[in-house]
Amino acid sequence: MNALQQEIAQLIIDTLNLEDVTVADISPDLPLFGEGLGLDSVDALELALALQKRYDIRIASDSKDARQHFTTVASLASFVQAQRDACAN
Amino acid sequence: MQFRIDRHCAWAPTLDTDASWQAWTRKPVTVPDNNEQPSCDFLPAMQRRRLSRLARMTMHVAWPLCSEDEQLPFVFASRHGETPRTFALLGEVAEGQPLSPTQFGLSVHNAIAGQWSMLRGQRGESVAVAGEADTFEHAMVEAAALLGDGAKAVLVVIAEERPPVAYDDWIDDVPFSYAVALRLRGIEPEHDAQTGERWKLRLEPNPGTSATGAWPHALSFVRALHTGGSTLVHAWKTRRWIWQRIP
Repeated sequence: MNALQQEIAQLIIDTLNLEDVTVADISPDLPLFGEGLGLDSVDALELALALQKRYDIRIASDSKDARQHFTTVASLASFVQAQRDACAN
Repeated sequence: MQFRIDRHCAWAPTLDTDASWQAWTRKPVTVPDNNEQPSCDFLPAMQRRRLSRLARMTMHVAWPLCSEDEQLPFVFASRHGETPRTFALLGEVAEGQPLSPTQFGLSVHNAIAGQWSMLRGQRGESVAVAGEADTFEHAMVEAAALLGDGAKAVLVVIAEERPPVAYDDWIDDVPFSYAVALRLRGIEPEHDAQTGERWKLRLEPNPGTSATGAWPHALSFVRALHTGGSTLVHAWKTRRWIWQRIP
């Protein structure tokens, strides 16, 4: 797990108040929703808000790609990295 | 109105056992409120994650009064509701920050009744009441209506949380956070065979001679349950509620 993935896993735990979960429990390829970590649609909204605040990025709620970005910690980390790179250029 | 109280359960910071409530009853004091909350570890962590402090207090007292396979109409009563949540949301509005979807979604008075319904698979009636300092008695009126409508038993929870300091000038009837649950039934004609305490509640106009009580009504009622006291008079503005134990 790279540093950004770890950071996002911790953000998920803190934001969604997952008291029994540690970063080590959320492997980068674990599905976040449904089977897997077991998050739901309200968690998705909450997580989107936390990511926007933390990384100063925009997530269009009607974006077809949003569902893809939110699949796993690994996909979220790639998305955040891509957004950051886009802003840096 | 007449009720039979099958069971009750109460929680406040440091007051979580029958013995501690007995001691508080003998010598009622304002217990320190340091934001303690019941663990609710009868629920998996994933189901606890959206329970606020007031919700945990409510689940903690209500949980043992409802059997696993039972459907009970539910009355949730709180005069002030979740003031810490409201205050935090207002702070975010003032700062122009986006609101948390979870906090916003749960910022309605019947949210805790909804969480009870989901966590316990309760599909029946549920009522959320906010009254004045006699919210407790208004909850009993709701319960009497549900019993009158044919419910075999009703679960009533009255819960209040210490508000943020900013509300100190306006809220002076929550000395500490507390939750009280009562499991109620009606009184049938051959009541000798029935268990539980029997109480009668009636409402009179308050001519202004009765002072407001020192403790929240629900807590003075818990005291009466422990002392075996037979009469309580709860006055608030134009209303005087008379509680009488039926021998």
